[in-house]
Amino acid sequence: MSAHQKNRYENDYKPDENRNKGASRWSHCRKRGADGSLRKSHAIEEPGKCSQHSGRPESFTTPESEGPVSRVKNWGDEVEAEEMRSNVRNDMHRYRRRILEADFPQRERKISSGSSDSRDSRDSKESPAKGDIETDETTLIRRQKQINYGKNTLAYDRYIKEVPKHMRQPGVHPKTPNKFKKYSRRSWDQQIKLWRVKLHAWDPPAEEGSDLQQIEEIDLGEIMDFELDVECSADTESQCPTSSGKSLSLAEDSFTGTPKKMMKTEDAEMS
Amino acid sequence: MRSGQSHAIRKRMKQARGSFGVRGMDSAWTAFDVVTQTMLQKAFDDPKTVDLEKLSNAIVDQSLKDLSFCKDAGRMCYAVVQAEAQKAATSVFRRNLLTRLQQEFTAREQTRNRSVREWVCLVTFICSIFDYIKVNNAPLVALVDPVYDCLYRLAQPDALINEEEVDCLVVQLHRVGEQLEQTNSQRMNQLFYLLRDGFLLQEDLSSMTRLLLLEILEFRASGWTLTDTAHKYYYSEVAD
Repeated sequence: MSAHQKNRYENDYKPDENRNKGASRWSHCRKRGADGSLRKSHAIEEPGKCSQHSGRPESFTTPESEGPVSRVKNWGDEVEAEEMRSNVRNDMHRYRRRILEADFPQRERKISSGSSDSRDSRDSKESPAKGDIETDETTLIRRQKQINYGKNTLAYDRYIKEVPKHMRQPGVHPKTPNKFKKYSRRSWDQQIKLWRVKLHAWDPPAEEGSDLQQIEEIDLGEIMDFELDVECSADTESQCPTSSGKSLSLAEDSFTGTPKKMMKTEDAEMS
Repeated sequence: MRSGQSHAIRKRMKQARGSFGVRGMDSAWTAFDVVTQTMLQKAFDDPKTVDLEKLSNAIVDQSLKDLSFCKDAGRMCYAVVQAEAQKAATSVFRRNLLTRLQQEFTAREQTRNRSVREWVCLVTFICSIFDYIKVNNAPLVALVDPVYDCLYRLAQPDALINEEEVDCLVVQLHRVGEQLEQTNSQRMNQLFYLLRDGFLLQEDLSSMTRLLLLEILEFRASGWTLTDTAHKYYYSEVAD
């Protein structure tokens, strides 16, 4: 994995990976660190915190220290996380319904906005059976965040204004990866990268920017076609072709240059 | 207790109930100076053009001073949150509001020592936010424990002797008690043990305080609703 990728995913991995290091959530409740040495009992001033799991004592008032403590969560963050979780759950219910509807296809159905087209289940060779969708919340939230980054760009805004859904041609027009389909981590990350690279075609014109984009597009053209075959037929376990190494580094450069809007936390479900 | 004193008590209880009825936002609006009023109006029309952090601070500052304002403040905040979400698809206001609220909550004991009035305003405001601001129609889980912490504090012996604090406690329980219990019934049980103990054992409570506590104990026992009997006892006007 590239360093860039590693940094991006570190936060997501933290709860699982850092158990042996000092600064985990419950570390101050333990007498010994993972290496066996006795801990200093500096956390005694806040004895109530260990019992948070079982319900706090009645007259519990936290003697809070100044500044962020690793245990104390920021309300703003918590609420945004709650919101993302419930949005993802709502998406899942909607998607499930859409899958069920697809079993009874109706003509003239308006293709509503949402995380995926109902076309997905009809056209593609692998229509996900009811059990075959991604349901792990952590994964879904991580994927949704990645999608949000992409949708939060000026390029995306310009794209959806310019090309309405029904005018989209597969292969030519970028399509948001479906977070409910089962993919390996690598496959998903690759799809996201490709999607974002394609979106760059709609970057707002800048002086030198547009020339650069021309060059990038030409370079990536051949590789893109190849990638597309991988993308369209992939459901599980598609591997990253090694020839994409070149396009990846180009893509990463162009990432940093993408004009971004203010952070959208509510996914306005436009794609 | 059928005397002039009880009449005064029941009138106060009526007022307490009336305070969580539906009121227009006009009274809250007028509490602000012109600059803030303009900012607020613009926030509804075009949130991107407003300094939402400044607005959220203005609202919090006013809430900590003005008890009658705090009750509507939650609704006002909710309106701004909605406007921002729909028109700008961001949640800057809500985030700033919560951050500021968390700071005030963290410093609540100092606030209480400095001014009981401000402390009571803070609790009222936090509960108002909890009541109005929802995430996909669910209550803000992040605020559940903080609200309980505030109510526990109000149920302490040194708070129960202040009618101002008892008043706040019962009003908030009427407003958000049921919701709160749904999110964490164990803590609600513990809170009511405290209230029951206070009612039965604490000797220095005023009769008004005892009445308020009795009413809330019965209120919860009947499933967060007022039975006819209770209504007659606590709220009916007696021709003196």
